[in-house]
Amino acid sequence: MAAALLVADRLSRMFDERVAVRDVSLSVNAGEIVTLLGPNGAGKTTTMRMLAGLILPTAGRISIDGIELTAGTAARARANVGLLTEAPGLWERLSVHFNLLTYARLQGVADPAASVREALTHVDLLDRASEIAGKLSKGLKQRVAIARALLHKPRALLLDEPTSGLDPASARHVRDLILGLRSEGRAILVTTHNLGEAEELSDRIAVLKTDLLAFDTPAGLRGARARGSRVIIELEGGGRREFAIAATGEIPEIVARLVAEGARIMRVTPDQRSLEDAYLELVGAER
Amino acid sequence: MTPFKWYRVTALARKDARELLRNPGAIVPAVLMIFASLFPLFLVIFFVPMIVGKTLEQSGEFSEEALNAMSRMPELAGLSGNALIQTFLFHQFSLLLLLVPIVSATTLATHAVIGEKQSKSLEPLLATPISTLELLAAKTLTPFVFALGLTWVAVVLEVMGTIAIGEAGVWRAILGARLFILFGVLGPLVVLASLEVSVITSSRASDPRSAQQLTALLILPVTAVFVAQLLGLVIVGPAALLLGALACVIFNAVLAWVGVRVFQRETILTRWH
Repeated sequence: MAAALLVADRLSRMFDERVAVRDVSLSVNAGEIVTLLGPNGAGKTTTMRMLAGLILPTAGRISIDGIELTAGTAARARANVGLLTEAPGLWERLSVHFNLLTYARLQGVADPAASVREALTHVDLLDRASEIAGKLSKGLKQRVAIARALLHKPRALLLDEPTSGLDPASARHVRDLILGLRSEGRAILVTTHNLGEAEELSDRIAVLKTDLLAFDTPAGLRGARARGSRVIIELEGGGRREFAIAATGEIPEIVARLVAEGARIMRVTPDQRSLEDAYLELVGAER
Repeated sequence: MTPFKWYRVTALARKDARELLRNPGAIVPAVLMIFASLFPLFLVIFFVPMIVGKTLEQSGEFSEEALNAMSRMPELAGLSGNALIQTFLFHQFSLLLLLVPIVSATTLATHAVIGEKQSKSLEPLLATPISTLELLAAKTLTPFVFALGLTWVAVVLEVMGTIAIGEAGVWRAILGARLFILFGVLGPLVVLASLEVSVITSSRASDPRSAQQLTALLILPVTAVFVAQLLGLVIVGPAALLLGALACVIFNAVLAWVGVRVFQRETILTRWH
């Protein structure tokens, strides 16, 4: 099994009297993408910031690429993780190259200029290095921000809403980039409000609403929340029967029973709920 | 605790310098202040006499004040007539040059801090191994160098102007302990105080102008002393300037204590909006 590069163990965080995150445990393994889902104000960004070593938890334990996060190790932990913030946060008057060069120097990499070239090559923007950051499109800015997160070659990446506000083509490009980073063996934690994107990218999904409501594979999440799911059986002659099922494993028995009763079955359709159904049920939102 | 690394401070300070040079909104007010602070001096000692066709001595302006100041300003010893009045006025008006470090430090520092807020670059910046102390140092280093540099440019222009249009002996008389304490000791301390106030106010403001309005209050003590001097109420000699420098050191220490508390990673991330 791949090593867990990001570990949150019973993590809690309070701001004054307000509980932002409570008792959250999750992990992200090397070569894995975990998506953090949750409504606005659910504690996703706070969780990201804690896992990036930006703020310390009120309770619980964090391990970033083997480093236990404390006030004393936070700087070292931050050097081992790449963070893509919700806004690209580039210095808009400066060139793409100088933006990244400054970050490479701040990260203390041995050859800043070479790191910049490598990171820009990674996001396919080497030919835009001399352009002023403020003149780039939002999609290109996001790719520069991803390059910034890769400068110091972190094995763990935290991507806060990486495709938010991007047009479909730019979003596709960024998603492909993320999938490419996974194939390099990096541990990637992503937040998004786009459930389709979560389903496409994620190996596992964590649903957060102050507390961790679920942490499973996309299929597991749908299956685990399958109470009340149905199977629809269409019969010869236009008849239709519906059965409530707890799991898809019950379907063969139902079919066998109907056949034994003499029914002629034309089609069996498990009425499998979408990730959206499972998510909305988990967070208790009204449709 | 993370060891303090100068390479991180200089990396960010270099970035700030490059950004400031590309930001006329930050640089132009600071440069204009040089001319604004030099103008009254040259207006009084050069342009007005030229327009009225009489020297200051001939018109009797400031003669009495200059003579009265001789006992308390050793630099005036040995001077007489127009040279005495010009030297006296150079001394009086040189205090106005302290407005250059205040205004330039304020405009440059507010842009350096609020610029990060406006571009939403504080969070990615804080995600690097930079410590908050290094960040604070970087955010004050570039404006400090720029503001002090502009102040000294203003002093050089003042002295060059004196050499060019002043009476013989005037420029030698003003190049003394007072000028050194004013711009070699008090000047940097005033720059530092202005920067610290700017950083603290910038943490609460969302645009440079509102932060600058608060830090502009620093101008008040300088103008008050300047006016008191002109009215003959006080003579600000080397001893008074050293006392002012000492007060500035204490003020800076208090501001640094507040600044370090404002510049906490969590405070910046969660309270700076």
